[in-house]
Amino acid sequence: MRPLKWLAIFIVPMGIIIAAVPQNTTKPYKLTAPQLLAEANNRTQYVTPETVADMIVNKDPSLQLIDVRSQDEFEKFSLPGAINIPLTDLLAEKYADVINQDLKTNVFYSNGTVTANQAWMLTRQLGYANNFVLEGGLNYWFEVIMNPGKPVTTSPDEEFARYNFRRSAGSALGGGGAFQAQTGQSQAAAPKPAVTTGPKKKKVAGGC
Amino acid sequence: MEETKEIKKTKYLNPYVGGVLLGLVLLAANFVAGRGLGASGAIKSVVVTTMQTVAPAASTGSGFVKEFHQSHEGNPMKTWLVFEMLGVLVGGFLSGAIAGRLKVKVEHSPKITSRKRLILALAGGVLFGFGSQLGRGCTSGSALSGMAVLSVGGFITMMAIFGTAFALAYFFRKNWI
Amino acid sequence: MGPLITNGIISESTNLFLAFIIGIGFGFVLEQSGFSSSRKLAGVFYGYDTVVLKVFFTAAITAMLGLLFFSLFGWIDLSLVYVNPTYLTSAIVGGIIMGAGFIIGGYCPGTSFCGASIGKIDGMVFIGGLFIGVLLFGLGYKLWENLYLAKFMGSPKVSTSLGLSDGFFGLLLILAALGMFWVAELAEKKFPREEY
Repeated sequence: MRPLKWLAIFIVPMGIIIAAVPQNTTKPYKLTAPQLLAEANNRTQYVTPETVADMIVNKDPSLQLIDVRSQDEFEKFSLPGAINIPLTDLLAEKYADVINQDLKTNVFYSNGTVTANQAWMLTRQLGYANNFVLEGGLNYWFEVIMNPGKPVTTSPDEEFARYNFRRSAGSALGGGGAFQAQTGQSQAAAPKPAVTTGPKKKKVAGGC
Repeated sequence: MEETKEIKKTKYLNPYVGGVLLGLVLLAANFVAGRGLGASGAIKSVVVTTMQTVAPAASTGSGFVKEFHQSHEGNPMKTWLVFEMLGVLVGGFLSGAIAGRLKVKVEHSPKITSRKRLILALAGGVLFGFGSQLGRGCTSGSALSGMAVLSVGGFITMMAIFGTAFALAYFFRKNWI
Repeated sequence: MGPLITNGIISESTNLFLAFIIGIGFGFVLEQSGFSSSRKLAGVFYGYDTVVLKVFFTAAITAMLGLLFFSLFGWIDLSLVYVNPTYLTSAIVGGIIMGAGFIIGGYCPGTSFCGASIGKIDGMVFIGGLFIGVLLFGLGYKLWENLYLAKFMGSPKVSTSLGLSDGFFGLLLILAALGMFWVAELAEKKFPREEY
């Protein structure tokens, strides 16, 4: 009986400890607070409406718009190709593969930028890459893409280029009136945010 | 005075010590590879490789092979379990060598012949091989590793294995006792 | 920190190499505990040698405690560790067939490799049988595919299904195992036999 007694004496207290101590469910955050602050201050998460419009018009397959408003608002209006993940459900398991991946460029949007930024903060904190925020949200989108303001004649060329781009994008996306861009003016679409690929953390297949 | 009926003991490790060591090996496996130990999966790898080598056209249509490739990419022999089982052979050999237990023989109860033992071993193997596929693991992969991670499937399979063996033990007692 | 492979701390090749090393440890401990002997293995079903029970359950509770403590210290992320999926019908039927194989053949796949490695011919024959059994399963896959895939329940843990915390269930399991060991020792005293 002696070895059994020793085993019992050693292992039962360990069992009691593990039963008593609350489970450690905190997932280690991948980004520290200072890192996150730095990124937020640099506004690295923003994507301009022009860039997104460009991707939509060119049917870029890597774009994935994510509407973080409620389902009702999503059904009333949504951007082309957008899916609806209300902020309240952002961390649900079924969306885990959407917000944590390295193939597509996810762009969160909401009416303003508050909710979209909250979504970005949460996912960035967990270390997920390739999630961005639509600058200005839908409000700015409507103002700028659907109804761009014509720049005054003294504005620099880039302003005109941007205006032309916005008008043509807007008409392509269903905004006001057909519009022919004047020839000779370069597109001012900002470069697409680069998709960072990283090793995707998958559970190992085991068993057998 | 010594008892007339002395129990012969061979020099095996104390089972509790062995159990703790085995538990540590299992813990290491989980820590390193995120999975537990296993054995029947290595056999599955060998079978899939054989099927693919002998009848490549037919095996591409086989549901079994397809199911295997769903969870394993690349060469079927280059899996964690195959490497692990190779290690088991080496480890067992080392242990046997150290303890002086290396001996080619057929181990059987004195009440049956070697031949019968081998036939039983073959039959048992066929049953176990078949069952391990259904159970998605054997005692190492499903029962032991499953219990360590508290998997329901692991517990169920373990209880089914041991329950059935206990239930049938009476009918096969002549082969062992 | 752990599991090392999913967190990218080691490469796939290192993982396979470590699999080999872990296998050596596995085989060594199994053989040292006597699992290379089919007569010892079958002994638990007749009461004369309960080594299977003791080693098996001690290993299970050791590893389980280890994982829970590692998780407590933040050394491993348990959500990334493989939890065996539960296919209810197939788990039970497979277990029954394996149980029959166990009592008839006296080995299980892991221990048969162990036995074969020290020269036991019955171990080698068992491995041959395993191959045939798996092959039969594969060849006739269509016949039992439905059974195989039936009643998939995800990968539930027993603790969650019972509504207990992992730690508390762990304690219950430890107590149950110790109880079984105590009964096993009584049985061994009652049926003493020459050790194989």
